[in-house]
Amino acid sequence: MNLLLQGLALGVLTGGLYALLASGLSLYFGVMRVVMVAHPAFLFLAAYLTYTVHTTLGLDPFLALPLTVPLFFALGVAVQRLLIARLAPENMAMMSVLLTFGIALTIEGLLGTFYTGSYKSVSMEYATRSLTIGGVHLPYDKIIAFWVAAITLLVLFAVLIKSRFGQSLRATIQHREAARLVGIQTERVAGYGFGVGLATAAVGGTVLALITPFFPASHWVWIGKLMAIIVVGGLGSVVGAALAAVLLGVVEGLVLVTVDATWATIMFYVFLFLTLLARPQGFFGGRLAHRF
Amino acid sequence: MRIASRGLPPLVAGLAIAYPFLVPNYYLVYAGALTVMYAAMATSWNLLGGFTGYVSLGHSAFFGLGAYGTGLLVTRMDVPWVVALLVSALLVTVFAVGVGIAAVRVRGASFVIVSIALVSMMNLIVQGWRSLTGGSTGLQVPSPFPDLHRGETHMVFFYLFLALLALALASWWYVSRSRFGAGLRAIREDEDKAESLGVPTGAYKVTAFALSALFVALAGGLYALWFGSLDPIFVFSILIASSMVLMSLLGGVRHLFGPLLGALIVAPAGEYFLIALGETQIHLTATGLVLVLVVLFMPDGILARFSRRRAGPSIPDETAEQRLQGVAP
Repeated sequence: MNLLLQGLALGVLTGGLYALLASGLSLYFGVMRVVMVAHPAFLFLAAYLTYTVHTTLGLDPFLALPLTVPLFFALGVAVQRLLIARLAPENMAMMSVLLTFGIALTIEGLLGTFYTGSYKSVSMEYATRSLTIGGVHLPYDKIIAFWVAAITLLVLFAVLIKSRFGQSLRATIQHREAARLVGIQTERVAGYGFGVGLATAAVGGTVLALITPFFPASHWVWIGKLMAIIVVGGLGSVVGAALAAVLLGVVEGLVLVTVDATWATIMFYVFLFLTLLARPQGFFGGRLAHRF
Repeated sequence: MRIASRGLPPLVAGLAIAYPFLVPNYYLVYAGALTVMYAAMATSWNLLGGFTGYVSLGHSAFFGLGAYGTGLLVTRMDVPWVVALLVSALLVTVFAVGVGIAAVRVRGASFVIVSIALVSMMNLIVQGWRSLTGGSTGLQVPSPFPDLHRGETHMVFFYLFLALLALALASWWYVSRSRFGAGLRAIREDEDKAESLGVPTGAYKVTAFALSALFVALAGGLYALWFGSLDPIFVFSILIASSMVLMSLLGGVRHLFGPLLGALIVAPAGEYFLIALGETQIHLTATGLVLVLVVLFMPDGILARFSRRRAGPSIPDETAEQRLQGVAP
């Protein structure tokens, strides 16, 4: 029983992080109908940058954020405006996957060349202990990861719902042509949407660096996991992705403590296939996701 | 021009058959066999990708399963290698029908996601199932030709892969002229319209998926017998599948010889990088950048540049005005 509670608690904490990592993917899909396979590669790029800032300057990993977040925002705008906007619209879905796949390979190769293929990790003294509540051990690094993810997501939702930029972004997601008719510059908004998505990758990468060791090819595992999350949640739905992330995080946590790590990861793919068989548009995606 | 393009295929075929005797050393025979293997896999990938437009990044799953199936049948059950190769390819094809039924329910980006998930899942299962597959330490497969030395083995497998390539090319050619091929092309142009015109899109897609898996599985099985040691992380890597995609796109997915041309460029370039730069990760960056450039600037491939037909949909979109001009006296 205690074991299950442990799995459940860890699952919720990890699920919160998954929600942050998957939110960027939902944004890209929303604004451009693009499945950004390179998102996890950018996560690990951010993790490695955090590692460099931490080891060379001796700073706390979170102090890398003022550097990486604006950098990644600019990178996101550049990727959208210079690469993705150039693709022919009739074959967008397939070609954008291949394009971002190429970007992912490029990043992995560069990371492997500069940082070598061995494991790196950022460990902080405060992150190694754990909190014990009623027999359930909660590592501090997971708690920190959860709260950073939760705060970032709250800020993201606030921006999407309250700000004028958020409104035009949501309008662009819902109906591009209509958005242009009411005077929204949809190209520019789509570019910023990509920037925001990649900025979440900067935050997520720093958190990942803190909780897990990483090497250049780590991003492949995350592609599968994050893709499963956004498909189960419904492509393009940020809220759906967040709920699916917590659900799959809990399932993973429970399988992890009862069976083993291999099956815990396989559960993501099981849910992916079940969703496609039962409800290909996902559980929260509406009309938007149906044809993808 | 026309005579030149007619005479080219027999000439290339003749050169390919003579290739092991023309090159000065066995390393080049090895590199040639590897190139032909990739050409065969890219051509069979194109049975699905070229006709239907469904881009699969998961074909390394069939490569890996074909390799492990053959290897396990040979080592665990002492089956003769030819039988093991054929049985494992058949099993993979049956598996591909099952996967295909689920996978082709979704289109576009979701299909790509499913194909990536397939590879990752197979990789996890093969690594996790330690008692059967040897896990991440890999599987050792005895050579089918113990009497030949290494160089001669390269030569034998060069011809085996060449035969497989010929088979894949013949299948593509046959399908491209059949009613089945026309149906697959209709799916690429507009799946909903094709379906409303009575094309059994589901059955056609699954058939194309399984057919293309069959040849990739055969290539995987031959690879297992050739290399003699299987590393699950390599044989189930998305990198193998992405090479197939890159080769096909670079050469031209709508042409019979497109993937072959792409393989002739990409595979030797990869080997050259390996020699020139050593075992660094920078070759990944090179592959990635080439893929980005091809997708951005040459999505129809090299052959489309040379063929006179204009790229784009094979059924051109005409405006009402153009159509009126066509029928006007």
